[in-house]
Amino acid sequence: MDLVNAPQQSLRDDPNLALIGKERQQTDPRRILADRVEQLYDQLWIAIVAGFVVGSIATFELWEPGFRGLVLFWWALVSLMSVASAALLLRYRKSRNKLAEADRWLRWLGLSALAIGSVWGFASAVFFPSHTDEQQVFLAFLITGVVTGGVPLFSGSWPIYALFAASILLPFAYVLVNFGNPLFTELAALVPVFYAVNVAVAYRLSQVFVTGYRLRYAYGELTEDYRTLNKRLNEQLVELQEASRQVEESGRKLALFADRAPIAVTEIAADGHIQQVNPAAEILFGYAPAELIGKPFSILLAPEARAEFDRHWRTLIDAHKPLLAELITSLRRDGLELSCEWTLTPLVNGDGRILSVVAQGRDLSSQLEAERLKKEFTSTLSHELRTPLTSIIGSLQLINSGVVDKVEGEALQLTVIAERNGQRLLDLINDLLDIEKIRSGKFDIVPEMIAVDALLEEAQLLNRAFAERYNVRLLTRNECAETYIYADRKRMLQVLTNLISNASKFSPAGECVEMLTEDRGKRIRIRVQDRGPGIPEDFRAKIFTRFSQAETTAARQKGGTGLGLAICKHLMELMDGQIDFQDRPGGGSVFWIEMPKQLSSRD
Amino acid sequence: MPTRPLEKVLYVEDDEDIQRIARMSLERVGKLSVEIVTNSTEAIARMKVFQPDLVMLDWMMPEMDGPTLFRKMHEDPEVAGLPVVFITAKASPRELEELVRLGAKGTISKPFSPKDLPDQLRGLWAAIPD
Repeated sequence: MDLVNAPQQSLRDDPNLALIGKERQQTDPRRILADRVEQLYDQLWIAIVAGFVVGSIATFELWEPGFRGLVLFWWALVSLMSVASAALLLRYRKSRNKLAEADRWLRWLGLSALAIGSVWGFASAVFFPSHTDEQQVFLAFLITGVVTGGVPLFSGSWPIYALFAASILLPFAYVLVNFGNPLFTELAALVPVFYAVNVAVAYRLSQVFVTGYRLRYAYGELTEDYRTLNKRLNEQLVELQEASRQVEESGRKLALFADRAPIAVTEIAADGHIQQVNPAAEILFGYAPAELIGKPFSILLAPEARAEFDRHWRTLIDAHKPLLAELITSLRRDGLELSCEWTLTPLVNGDGRILSVVAQGRDLSSQLEAERLKKEFTSTLSHELRTPLTSIIGSLQLINSGVVDKVEGEALQLTVIAERNGQRLLDLINDLLDIEKIRSGKFDIVPEMIAVDALLEEAQLLNRAFAERYNVRLLTRNECAETYIYADRKRMLQVLTNLISNASKFSPAGECVEMLTEDRGKRIRIRVQDRGPGIPEDFRAKIFTRFSQAETTAARQKGGTGLGLAICKHLMELMDGQIDFQDRPGGGSVFWIEMPKQLSSRD
Repeated sequence: MPTRPLEKVLYVEDDEDIQRIARMSLERVGKLSVEIVTNSTEAIARMKVFQPDLVMLDWMMPEMDGPTLFRKMHEDPEVAGLPVVFITAKASPRELEELVRLGAKGTISKPFSPKDLPDQLRGLWAAIPD
């Protein structure tokens, strides 16, 4: 979604562009000033060279006996100014802070212009009155030239030019006025006009320069904006292409999902008519696509299931709530009913309008049939195997207990073996049925309040005979009198019987199997401990898994299904209990179960 | 606890082998007087004649199964008061719970032990309130 939405983001919101705008407002005047200063310095060398050359020519021209000392002094001033200005220019060139210190550099340049102008003003004031007419014309021409020549050189800053021109023309005008010649006095009156015109031209030029620089910046910024925009547009174009590629890809993927899916997929319009079906739907329901498209979806459902489906459909359309894994009797084209599990998901657009509904149907008929058969089989197995076993074990038990005709010697040995193995077979059937119930999650637990005392006593009674068969004594000691647990009595006895029979089987003859209780605060632990060989290391991890038996000859000889402990673990978990084992100090194993203690015998 | 000991037991069971074993167990081991009924439809009539202290019902039987017979007994005032124990190879704990709630005195699962069966019945008999 992000990819699809990204290009819609407004350019005005682009942070890059906002930054450009801010920068423009901040840097403009400073940078324009710096550029003007730079321009002024760039032209300064012309002023220096021209000033020195013109100054030297003037020196040569004014080189008259009687004034030579003064002329030489002036030429020295010209040279000094040239050198000083050149030094200033050099320092400026080397400066790293042209932008930040533009003000300072402008002031220095102003001083330099003032100094150069003053040298020329000095020349006009000193040499004009003292020299011949021709030389006066020469000087006037020179001064006019210098003032005019200053216009392009200094008009980057018109005040500097005004200063420069004033420093030349003021002494010159003063000399003209005081010369005593009416022509010169009239000329002096023209000097301010000349000055004003030049300064005006310089002012105009300086405005043109400023505007020029501003335009240059505006153009530069526009170019930069344009470049940024272009870059962003390009990026967005790439993103769009990528998004479009992904949309196309996911569209292809979706089509592939539906086409190759082993479940029936149909797209239904919001009015309940089929828009699309996948090949699996065609095969499952036996229709060609053309027969289904445009037909109401309920054509695929058994008539008696349609009313119920309509209710689901209305909820889906009104509340946009998907229908999840609902078992609905469906109808094949030939009239055969199928048990289908349907999942209907509305496809809703941004405005909350349902575009269509995707229905996915899975035929569970054979699975349900298999489950039913299995259940029937289990139940039959249970009944049909137990009935003959009742007769077999019952008969043998009556014979072996001696209540009917006496059987003796080897015959009795054999009937005892037969009875024991009949019992083993029964145990196996019971274990298998338990495992099946656990697997299908149909294990019924009927919990009640049980006094631990009574439970242990019953377990002792039930298992004493079995322990005695292995020449093992079963001892019970309850240290938690008056303690109750909430559990299924039969199942608790089943677990305890399992633990005691395991312990008895593996105990050496003459040893004791002990059943003890241990108070563990909110819980009570019942421990069944033996002096047997202990649990082999490689068997510990899988001891509570199904069909696991230690790979020892002893274990195999003792019989059992390998299901007992797995069943015990499930039973304990079903009753909120726990089961585990540990090594017994001094040899043997301790298997323990733990249950929450209850406060009283009342529920 | 009933004042007199358990003496007469009627067992409704369709399997003849089990009938014989149960009879041996109850008569020889338990020293009880036993009446066995094969066909559950005749059971109520036979109960009226034999007047047992306690009735044992098999769960699965042709014609009429144990629970149905049990309900039928409830409809007949002559036999409605007889204590009933179910003998069953198949039934979930929930179903058994339900029967006990309906008035069955207990359940004994198949295969039962012929050696212990009389004791089990006497235990249930003793637990019946007066």
